[in-house]
Amino acid sequence: MRRAFKIYRILVAQNLKRIMEYKADFLTGAVSFLIDQAIGIAFIFIIFSQIPHLAGFTFEQIVFIYGFSQIPKGLDHLLADNLWSVGYFIVRKGDFDKYLTRPINPLFHVIAETFQIDAVGELVVGIGLMIYAAPNAGLYITPVSVLLFILVIPFATLIYTSIKIATAAFAFWIKSSGFIIQMVYGMNEFAKYPTTIYSTVIKTFVTYIIPFAFTGFYPALYFLTGENPLFHIGGVVLISVIFLTISLWIWKKGLSAYESAGS
Amino acid sequence: MNKIRRQYLPFMRAGVQTMITYRMNFLGFVVGGLIYCFVMYYLWKAVFLSSGGETFMGFSMTDMVVFLFLSNVTGELTFSSVSNDIGEEIKDGSIAMRLIKPVNTDLSYLAAELGGAFLRLVILALPMMVGLEIYRYCVFGTVILNPLHLLFYLLSVILAYLISFRVNLCFGFVAFYVKNLWGIGILKNSIINFLSGSLIPLAFMPGWLRTTLEYMPFASMSYTPVMIYMGKYDMNEILFRLAIQAVWAVLIYGLSKLIWVGAVKKLCVQGG
Repeated sequence: MRRAFKIYRILVAQNLKRIMEYKADFLTGAVSFLIDQAIGIAFIFIIFSQIPHLAGFTFEQIVFIYGFSQIPKGLDHLLADNLWSVGYFIVRKGDFDKYLTRPINPLFHVIAETFQIDAVGELVVGIGLMIYAAPNAGLYITPVSVLLFILVIPFATLIYTSIKIATAAFAFWIKSSGFIIQMVYGMNEFAKYPTTIYSTVIKTFVTYIIPFAFTGFYPALYFLTGENPLFHIGGVVLISVIFLTISLWIWKKGLSAYESAGS
Repeated sequence: MNKIRRQYLPFMRAGVQTMITYRMNFLGFVVGGLIYCFVMYYLWKAVFLSSGGETFMGFSMTDMVVFLFLSNVTGELTFSSVSNDIGEEIKDGSIAMRLIKPVNTDLSYLAAELGGAFLRLVILALPMMVGLEIYRYCVFGTVILNPLHLLFYLLSVILAYLISFRVNLCFGFVAFYVKNLWGIGILKNSIINFLSGSLIPLAFMPGWLRTTLEYMPFASMSYTPVMIYMGKYDMNEILFRLAIQAVWAVLIYGLSKLIWVGAVKKLCVQGG
């Protein structure tokens, strides 16, 4: 464990050095994600200029849900971005051999290798929106809810990472699984808004099958109302543990099926 | 003419082959776009429910469905990945190989893209448009689409594509200065989606913003063809909007040429 931390620190330091070397790239990335988010908010703002509430939620509440949903997404983007490359080209080009020849866990190595600073854009917007919305959203603030807030974020992040591990691992069988990550990851769009607006089929789907609702709306709803912590918060913990277990199993199966590329 | 065909047909064939080879990645993006349409569909449905009215700023829910899916179709038709392609070639230096070929550089990119665009029209856009018309037929009990609107829509989409191609080319040149192509891509897409009115109809924006955006080149890339198809413009307005598109197509063409002349002098291939 200590060794893992040390390796992680060294790899992240390497990444930071590269970022310092290409400052313009870092700024472009962070500003891009910031503007992308700002436009999402402009959209909500334009809608609310015409209606007082959406599906029973006020403007501030919707902004809080939106902001909260960006935190796990941003953290996963910051820490585990390299999984996309596994799906899109690392396996296809045969570059995955590199990870197998080193004396550390390949999955850990893949994840530790990239520290995607672009995610700062998402994190800054997420935190900013929650702070902006907090005074008027009618938040449910107790010592327990504050503790749960800190506790739930890593688990919600794990849901994102688990989904990416599982979908990236398909590349071990079919060489390139970028499109699968893309399709499944794209469903995080559903997490940004209250699930009550969707049809029952979609609601069930984003709750239990591709459970992005647990990375955004459900936990955010608990911090807004204080209702049903067992489902809204406990669900996040349970689902993330289940999904992590499944995705690690798929990854392990995939590793043993991996054949290097020809040339 | 024969010479042009001989020169550029191989690029076009290569474009079609690239798309067939990477068909699964393409499928991923198509499904991603459709998921996005459905999220937006439910969001608008909730908005209509909350507003309590039959129409929202002049759009009925049926209009909204047509708008969402048609914007998606138009986006697929005017899609250009040239910013990424040229960016990658600048990054890995292979652009040098393209520059020494005795062909026009922009046209070689355009030819490669047209192959893909044709495939997207046949396998994606046409079925979706038929689906939309069936949907409208079910809602209204009669055929809504005016063949003249369809004709002008196609004309408008061609102009929109030419603008989109040139705008993407200009973004691609940014790779001469910045190497973070992924970030540039995100930035480009979100700016274009918002300013072109494919995310939210320009009709919903505050008056001054709406007028400004309607005259900017971005509206010509998606909003104009979609509004023509939906019959939101009368004949005079259609001709006027097409003229605006044509003017932008020429202006952006000039701009991309200017940037190209400047950028090529700066070309610095790292390694290679």
